[in-house]
Amino acid sequence: MKILVIEDDRTTGSYVAEGLREEGHVVDLVEDGRDGLIRASATPYDVLVVDRMLPGLDGLALVKTLRGALNQTPVLFLTSLGGVDDRIEGLRAGGDDYLVKPFAFGELSARIAALARRPQVAQEQTVLKAGDLTMDLLRRKVTRAGQEIDLLPREFTLLEHLLRRKGRVQTRTMLLEAVWDISFDPQTNVVETHISRLRAKVDKPFATELIHTVRGAGYRIEA
Amino acid sequence: MSARIAPTLRSMPLRLTLALVALFALVFLVTFSATYAISRNAIERSLNDSLVQEMAGFRAAPSAAALAALVRSQSTVTFPERKILSYLTPDGLIAGNAALLAEGEGFRVVVLDKARNPDAAAIDGEYYTLSERLQGGLMTIALSAAPIARLHETFVRVLIFALLPATAIALGAGLLLAGRSARRLAEIEATLDRLTAGDLAARVPALRGRADELSRIGARIDRMAVAQEQQMSALRRVSADIAHDLKTPLQRVVVLLNRLRETRGLPAAAGDLAEQTSAEAERIVAIFQALLQIAQIEGGSPRARFVEVDLGLLGATFAEVYAPTAEEAGGALHFTPPEGQITVEGDKTLLGQVIANLVENALRHTPPGTPVTLAVTREGGRAVLSVADAGPGIPEAERGNVLRRLYRLESSRTTQGSGLGLSLVAVIADLHGAELTLADNGPGLRVTLRFPPPRSARSSAPSDRST
Repeated sequence: MKILVIEDDRTTGSYVAEGLREEGHVVDLVEDGRDGLIRASATPYDVLVVDRMLPGLDGLALVKTLRGALNQTPVLFLTSLGGVDDRIEGLRAGGDDYLVKPFAFGELSARIAALARRPQVAQEQTVLKAGDLTMDLLRRKVTRAGQEIDLLPREFTLLEHLLRRKGRVQTRTMLLEAVWDISFDPQTNVVETHISRLRAKVDKPFATELIHTVRGAGYRIEA
Repeated sequence: MSARIAPTLRSMPLRLTLALVALFALVFLVTFSATYAISRNAIERSLNDSLVQEMAGFRAAPSAAALAALVRSQSTVTFPERKILSYLTPDGLIAGNAALLAEGEGFRVVVLDKARNPDAAAIDGEYYTLSERLQGGLMTIALSAAPIARLHETFVRVLIFALLPATAIALGAGLLLAGRSARRLAEIEATLDRLTAGDLAARVPALRGRADELSRIGARIDRMAVAQEQQMSALRRVSADIAHDLKTPLQRVVVLLNRLRETRGLPAAAGDLAEQTSAEAERIVAIFQALLQIAQIEGGSPRARFVEVDLGLLGATFAEVYAPTAEEAGGALHFTPPEGQITVEGDKTLLGQVIANLVENALRHTPPGTPVTLAVTREGGRAVLSVADAGPGIPEAERGNVLRRLYRLESSRTTQGSGLGLSLVAVIADLHGAELTLADNGPGLRVTLRFPPPRSARSSAPSDRST
């Protein structure tokens, strides 16, 4: 993927850029808002990572200008502000996701991956598959190797979310947002608990593991 | 209907208009009545004068017979509807154009009607009479009070055609003006309400008409709002700057610690230290984030963003989210769902944080295994959220203190937590107009949030506010 990182703090910027390069992405790093806007307008990128407070031109104005010019490149905001208003402001300006500093690299990487492939998610699909696991959304039935698996509603939603994003890492906070509709981080291990319950039902009785833990990042379904 | 009229009557311009019109009508009526009385008096006096004059004409007759003859001759040319002449001769005969029997001398006002005088069809109405003993008989002259009746009629007409339309016009114009200023006042009030609710972009709509007091007040409110908005944005900028300046090095610390932990060949002890330092950095971030959030909410987080939030559903979500943590501690988190749907006007994320903070607090500050109860109930039309535990509770004297920022009880110094959880709950409760109480759960602590009744219920209930 080709990613543009617009971040004025050199330590953070180079950490992000290096991390993403290590994952195999092509990364450009810019430290000034105006330069960032020029780059983003001139070159097609897959994802923009934009700090909200930038010298030259602030992040909100940058993204608003881009959207005004009908540039629909997915944008992930990095911000020092974490208030509810700030979040809404960022999303309203045309941002697609929002990450509050300080963040762990795994979180950033997972969110970038989620953004880049967002349009390809087929919402109409009624049967989701991973290996020998099948989820029928209409009948709300899950089977693995011909064996029916009983899931609680929340476990079903969690599995559905992971299946729809097969192969991509979903972090704890991403799951909290998507499955529990909570946009802040409560100090609880509810995600871990549900994943382990899901594993007990979906993975344990079978030979191969489908739900993988990605260290320092989150979870992923991989057949 | 009366509920709609009552606040209208409380409007000052309308009251002034009504008072002015009433005063105008009163003054008019008083002068009018005085004029009527004076005119009537004058007519009465002239009637009486005429009676005296007429009587003097008959007094000249030398004898009763001559007087009777005079009366008879006069009667032939006198219409009884205008003037009645009647002489009761000493021998009991009546001369005149009608029989009027007076009981004695002097002025009288009598009412004559056809029923009593079937022979004289024209006699009808009030008459002013004068009787005098002349030549052994009783002479009575009566003059019709028709001029007075005509005066009365004229005055009634004037009253109907002058006073009533004038009052109606004054009242109409007054109501129109009062309505206009009431509308402008309502606009000013609405703007003030929006400003109070945190919508600092609210301005008084441009008022038509001359630059009167109301427009001047409107302009001043606008100036105040502009100043407040500027202060607010300055405050926001400052807190954003502080956040940026602090978060940037914090982000670097996190980055550097990550690099340290990923370093190959790091001694286990050093790895542990890096791990611990990361945890501490996370705590700093949590405290800082909470402080920033409290400042933002207190600085006027717009209530305009409020939506209907299903409190029961929110409670159920958080009961589920915290159930594993409670079980891990050997206790249990009970959730009492409401009967039916309970919704409040609010910010879903902030209300979720309230529940999260209260449940976290209850789990954190009680011995392992203490049951915690989260409940959403209705209390006389108000939504109520409560979190109760059977732990050590908070001494009554300390209950006010724990809502203060960064305050921690001596007994909880060693437990985790930022000391901001309850302060954040307090500002969020305040933002939602909810009443926050800390009470004894006998044993333990019960924290209760009572939300204001929904707006639809509020308008029909008697309110102490004059909005």
